[in-house]
Amino acid sequence: MRRMLIAALALIGVFVALYLTLYKMGVIGHLACGLGGCERVNTSKWAIFAGAPVAAWGVAFYTTTFVVALIGTSPSWIDRREIAYVLAGMSFVGVAFTAWLTYLELFVIEAICKYCVTSAVIVTAIFIVSIADVAMGNRLQSGE
Amino acid sequence: MANNNPPRNAKSAAAKPSSNRGAFYGILVAIVIVGIAAILYLKASPPSADSGASAQAAYAALQRDYAKAGPPRPYVMGDSTAPVVIEEFADFECPVCGSYATVTEPDVRRMIIDTHLAYYKYYDFPLPMHHNTQSASNAAACAADQGKFWEMHDQLFAGQDAWGLNPDGATQVTDNPKSVFMGYAKAIGLNTSDFEQCYDSKKEQARVNANAAEGFRRNVNQTPTFFINGKMFAGSIPYDVMKKAVDDAAAAKKSAPAAAPATTPAGTSAVNPAAKPAAPK
Repeated sequence: MRRMLIAALALIGVFVALYLTLYKMGVIGHLACGLGGCERVNTSKWAIFAGAPVAAWGVAFYTTTFVVALIGTSPSWIDRREIAYVLAGMSFVGVAFTAWLTYLELFVIEAICKYCVTSAVIVTAIFIVSIADVAMGNRLQSGE
Repeated sequence: MANNNPPRNAKSAAAKPSSNRGAFYGILVAIVIVGIAAILYLKASPPSADSGASAQAAYAALQRDYAKAGPPRPYVMGDSTAPVVIEEFADFECPVCGSYATVTEPDVRRMIIDTHLAYYKYYDFPLPMHHNTQSASNAAACAADQGKFWEMHDQLFAGQDAWGLNPDGATQVTDNPKSVFMGYAKAIGLNTSDFEQCYDSKKEQARVNANAAEGFRRNVNQTPTFFINGKMFAGSIPYDVMKKAVDDAAAAKKSAPAAAPATTPAGTSAVNPAAKPAAPK
């Protein structure tokens, strides 16, 4: 159930990141953004990381998380604790990276992108659920 | 979790996950459908006002939807019965357009337009990388409302240094061109409160868009681009080249007076202003 939740959250994250990536690639001419500085954030120099748009990294991250969580829901993997550790590790990296991006938005670029905030909420939720997955797995194992 | 402690027999344990899985896959499919629909919806929604990339967004939207724009309303000068029509597609912030307007165009006006050799039409073609050019087109359209387009046109091009691109060719001199344009409005004797009201409300934006859409219809992709009786000249041209093109067009028309000006082989309206449909809404 927890991994299903993670998979669902990651799939939502894929679409949020995909939207920003399509903008970055020029497929979408503008960002629909009622308030905040979506374009200011996404046209800033920090919108590129290691040669690729940050949003594209987001698509890769959420897609990987989705696939791992989906595998983790299959009957043969559902009891495997490695999946829980991988998801917790990946989402920790995601949360740390997002924290850095949010810091840049607030204090360096001084503009907030609501899609980035949405992504931050999703990755934080994935992290919390994955920690719960690890904790429950530990409890079950110690109970055995 | 808070159920009535069902017996953990093999049957219920097997049945529950499979119904869970069905709902789970249903939710994933729903997320995919909603995700795709949301992206398509957001793609179609109008750009946010005055964002840093709004000029780019406006251009992209127009490039995509130019067929939907109304008929162009270019700004005209000269004798409408002249045998030749010169049409210019230009961007007020483009430096090459500026040098054409300030160096070449005075000669064109004096020796070609004032002598009834040609009729002149100006179309806005604001380019996406020029963040103040939409505002300049807006100012010119509002001056046209008071019958002083050409006066504003001349002020804008002559004053590019005060509101347009920096010498680096990438950044703008000012983020607030309106104060400069208000000065021009006053200098050319416009009713400044009417001008300001028009400028702030962007009530002539449709005219600017329609003029730019005409450029897209005719495959304009740089400024300035001229059409002389329908023949395209992309880029700035010196006076001598323009005069020769006007003379050639006039001679061609004289030798074939019955033919419509600049009939294109394909009969398309792409490069033939005379063949434009009246109002392709």
